[in-house]
Amino acid sequence: MKNLMFRIRKNPEMYIGAAIIVVMLAIIICGVIFSPYDPDAMDASAKFADPSPAHPMGCDNFGRDLYARLSIGGATTLFIAVATVFIGVIFGIIIGALTGYYGGVVDEILMRFNDAVLAFPSILLALVFISLFGSGTFKVIISLGILFIPSFARIVRSEFMRCSKLDYVRSARLMGAGDLRIMFVHILPNIIPVLLSSTVIGFNNAVLAEASMSFLGIGVQPPSSSLGRMLSEAQAFLFSEPSYAIITGVTIALIVLGFSLLGDGLKKNA
Amino acid sequence: MKAVLKKLLTFIITVLLVTLFVFVAFEMIPGDAATARLGINATPEALEKMREEMGLTRPFFVRYFSWLGSFFFGDMGVSYSYGVSVRSMLASKLPITLTLTLMAFIMVVVLSIPIGLYSSKYEDRVFAKVIDVSGQLVMSIPPFFLGILVTYVFGMLLHMFTPGGFVSYDINFGKFISYLIFPALAIAVPKAAMSTKLLKTSILSERRLDYVRTAYSRGNSTMDVLYKHVLKNAVIPVITFLGMTLADIVAGSLVIEQVFSIPGYGRLLISSIANRDYPVVQAIIAIIAMIVIFINLLVDVTYQVLDPRLRGN
Amino acid sequence: MLEVTDLHIEIEDSVIPETVVYDFDISVSAGEIVGIVGESGSGKSMSAHAIAGLLSRKDMKKKGRIVFEGEELLTVSRSRLRKIQGDDIAVVFQEPMTSLNPVLTIGTQVEEALRIHSDLSDEELKKSALEMMRLVELDDVEELYYKYPHELSGGMRQRVMIAAALICDPKLLIADEPTTALDVTIQAQIIELLKKINREKGTAILFISHDLSVVRSLCGRVVVMNRGRIVEQGDAEEVFNNPKEEYTKNLIEAIPKFCKIAVPKKNTDRKPLLEVRSVSARYKKVTGYLIPGTKQKTIVKNASFTMYEGEIMGLVGESGSGKTTLGKTILGMLDDTEGEIIHYSKMPQMIFQDPYGSLNPTKTIGWILQEPLRIKGGFSAKERSEKAKEMLSLVGLDEGILARRPSALSGGQRQRVCIALALMLEPRLIIADEPVSALDVTVSNQVINLLIELNKKLGIAILFISHDLKVVYELCSRIIVMKDGEIVEQGTDEEIFNNPKKEYTKQLLLSAGYTD
Repeated sequence: MKNLMFRIRKNPEMYIGAAIIVVMLAIIICGVIFSPYDPDAMDASAKFADPSPAHPMGCDNFGRDLYARLSIGGATTLFIAVATVFIGVIFGIIIGALTGYYGGVVDEILMRFNDAVLAFPSILLALVFISLFGSGTFKVIISLGILFIPSFARIVRSEFMRCSKLDYVRSARLMGAGDLRIMFVHILPNIIPVLLSSTVIGFNNAVLAEASMSFLGIGVQPPSSSLGRMLSEAQAFLFSEPSYAIITGVTIALIVLGFSLLGDGLKKNA
Repeated sequence: MKAVLKKLLTFIITVLLVTLFVFVAFEMIPGDAATARLGINATPEALEKMREEMGLTRPFFVRYFSWLGSFFFGDMGVSYSYGVSVRSMLASKLPITLTLTLMAFIMVVVLSIPIGLYSSKYEDRVFAKVIDVSGQLVMSIPPFFLGILVTYVFGMLLHMFTPGGFVSYDINFGKFISYLIFPALAIAVPKAAMSTKLLKTSILSERRLDYVRTAYSRGNSTMDVLYKHVLKNAVIPVITFLGMTLADIVAGSLVIEQVFSIPGYGRLLISSIANRDYPVVQAIIAIIAMIVIFINLLVDVTYQVLDPRLRGN
Repeated sequence: MLEVTDLHIEIEDSVIPETVVYDFDISVSAGEIVGIVGESGSGKSMSAHAIAGLLSRKDMKKKGRIVFEGEELLTVSRSRLRKIQGDDIAVVFQEPMTSLNPVLTIGTQVEEALRIHSDLSDEELKKSALEMMRLVELDDVEELYYKYPHELSGGMRQRVMIAAALICDPKLLIADEPTTALDVTIQAQIIELLKKINREKGTAILFISHDLSVVRSLCGRVVVMNRGRIVEQGDAEEVFNNPKEEYTKNLIEAIPKFCKIAVPKKNTDRKPLLEVRSVSARYKKVTGYLIPGTKQKTIVKNASFTMYEGEIMGLVGESGSGKTTLGKTILGMLDDTEGEIIHYSKMPQMIFQDPYGSLNPTKTIGWILQEPLRIKGGFSAKERSEKAKEMLSLVGLDEGILARRPSALSGGQRQRVCIALALMLEPRLIIADEPVSALDVTVSNQVINLLIELNKKLGIAILFISHDLKVVYELCSRIIVMKDGEIVEQGTDEEIFNNPKKEYTKQLLLSAGYTD
């Protein structure tokens, strides 16, 4: 117990961040599983209902239960974030490992390309993709996923470049270990701490990006809902029903805060 | 000199890569410009003729460079939706987005540097810790939500501005600026929090280095050590960050324009995407990308001026 | 001039306050050179920094008196203290790499103290700075004035530090381990420079070092410190020749000397094991950007030598001499090489300098030791584990560490694991690249003894790469001296040590304090 307190004091970001994430996940999962309301079911009598035991967070402009919608929206947002980061990490590792380990011309070309992609503000690139592919959950995932590859590739590449110069890698090479074995058995486990913290920060960015896109109306399309969409709907009623916008916005902010604290904490540990 | 040349070369290559990317992206869209011009009911013969006329049958790179060339001379095509030249549509909106961006950037600098200096100097004081925690919270608020909060608090509760009451610069410049203050604030505050944090950590870590002890041993006062020694090192990463931030603000303003109903590039871009008005989308994206790349070039050059280790060899 | 009495220093950390210096007394008269000797953590640097007024008044509690020219420095106002700092008391620090501000020019930093303590114009400042830089024997000072620290070598930077410290003609120069981070020949030059300054300008020097032989060559009086207390002080020669305290005796005892640990066997059958024929190695740096061009730097030039079965050969040189590169070239770890390397046995293995970097931190010792056999293939898990245990016991380690990770091991244990790892493939030659330079003296001696033992027991030949002549003298039967990528001289230990033919070898021996 004392030990735990000590650890928390030493790295409060990590534990507070993890706690926020766990609580938010619990709220969202509870809502998805236990909420008796269909998130899309409208109820004219419950328009903008105040929070009550029946509707813990009240209702929106169509009388839909806000908690049920928030859970489903949050789940969608998180699902998109996970899928996006997954694409980014997997391709990032493959590209980063190859370029960082081998270097050379291919590395130069890919990194030049990487720089060009990273030179774009991410939201702008997302807009390009969306205007090409069209909007919708699946297309958002693909767009954001591709967008996330360069930043992960860059991190993995620099770690591989650093590690491939270390003595234990040299010594493995001297024993006759093959390149693939060195890359994935010897080096990869060593970069996991760094990868972990950047993955968590990636979640943070993915949640933000998805929410921004859906807020602008070019992300998730109705009937599915996401937190960004809900916030843009809520903005219309900001004057009469500010709680709608505030609850939705705070949910997004807390998820982002949780991931960014956790990411910072992990970085400190790495 | 060699380094500057190299930077310039990088700049040109990146511009080419990025414009090529934008060009290719819009080439891939199903249905070409001729179809868009004539509608889907046009006869194949008419389409063929139109393609010939529009130069769509030329080889790829010829088309790319002719597009790039005319783009640089201001010919950005004609909007599908409005039938007017894209150039005239963009020209009238440029001052709006540019003003918003610059205001936000100035706010970031003006807010973050004094606060960062203060909180690194008095890191143990309660106020510095309050700044730390509130900064962390502010950073996590998505810009569009912060915009909504600002609208609600300053617009609806405090009546300091009228939400949705945008006045264009050519009608009343004073009102135009005063309306933009709050959107700029919404963009600036999270960025200012990040740059404050970076300046603080950068100063604190520099202060631990050996050269600081050397400076003290020569009889420098605490102030002189900070301003003549530490800060010269500590601002280097902050400058980079500010450059990246400027680029980010350009993009971030797209979203904030939507929240505050400001008719700048952002709203035009979103509505054009929705209307599939590709010439407009292509032009805006290319322009913003080039602004961003140019900012990156400036940051790189500043970086080299500030850090002798990066100069030459 | 300086009178310190009864100085106590306490670190006021947030957890527990800790006294690090007790009852510290010292006096330095004008023009004197006084040395403070002690191991790391003895409080010697702390005391010196206290005298220079460099300990923060907030976190460090100080008691006692530091009287400099009649002024009590512990209680004097901050602004008065700043008047003294840099003007009357100047400091040279240990790390020339980090003690200079990376973004300011050399000129700015050399003249800074003078700028603070006088009203001279920029031109006058520059004139004094250039003069001072010439005094510390820097060349091309006009050019150097506008350069930045990263463009200078370690020795040059330390000269710049000294010039900057002397610019106001201080009465007292505090030199805090000024030579520790430098190569031996540079070290000797800096000591000579300090002597010259003392002689010509009459500057008193308080010289802090862990290196007794350096202190002896420079200081008239010496203070020995241990665990925050002064153990012994007095005339330097007197303390060295007749140490009164046990601690001082041990310290003098522990000075590395030139002695043979074991007389290595001189090979009579002369069966060649490795032949290096006019080998050159270059590092290519890709400089081109679009049009790829390469900048080449030749690190090893035209090296030739032969190694025979079962011998221990030393490869000596200062940093940058190309000795490590030559080792890597032999192992085929570099791409751009020329010449011929003939191995008469299977591939040699290597032991690296840094025992912290040469073991994969995410794996267990057992896994690491078995890896070479896993790669080679054809061994069962049981065979692998048996072999790992066998090698472990050969290097004197317990089986218990098989399940541990490198981070749980001490530096000496790690280096033993590295040796066991090198033995796993049963090579006939091991290339050891500075295997003991990261270790403490006692541990280092154990590792050297282990190498000698393995050489005797298994007949393994060792190419021992080192900058430390004493260590090389201990175990090598033949020696190669390298400088700037070239082999300067090679011969048997007797030839090199007792009858060196080349000027550089003589200089190297002199700097290392070798006298026969």
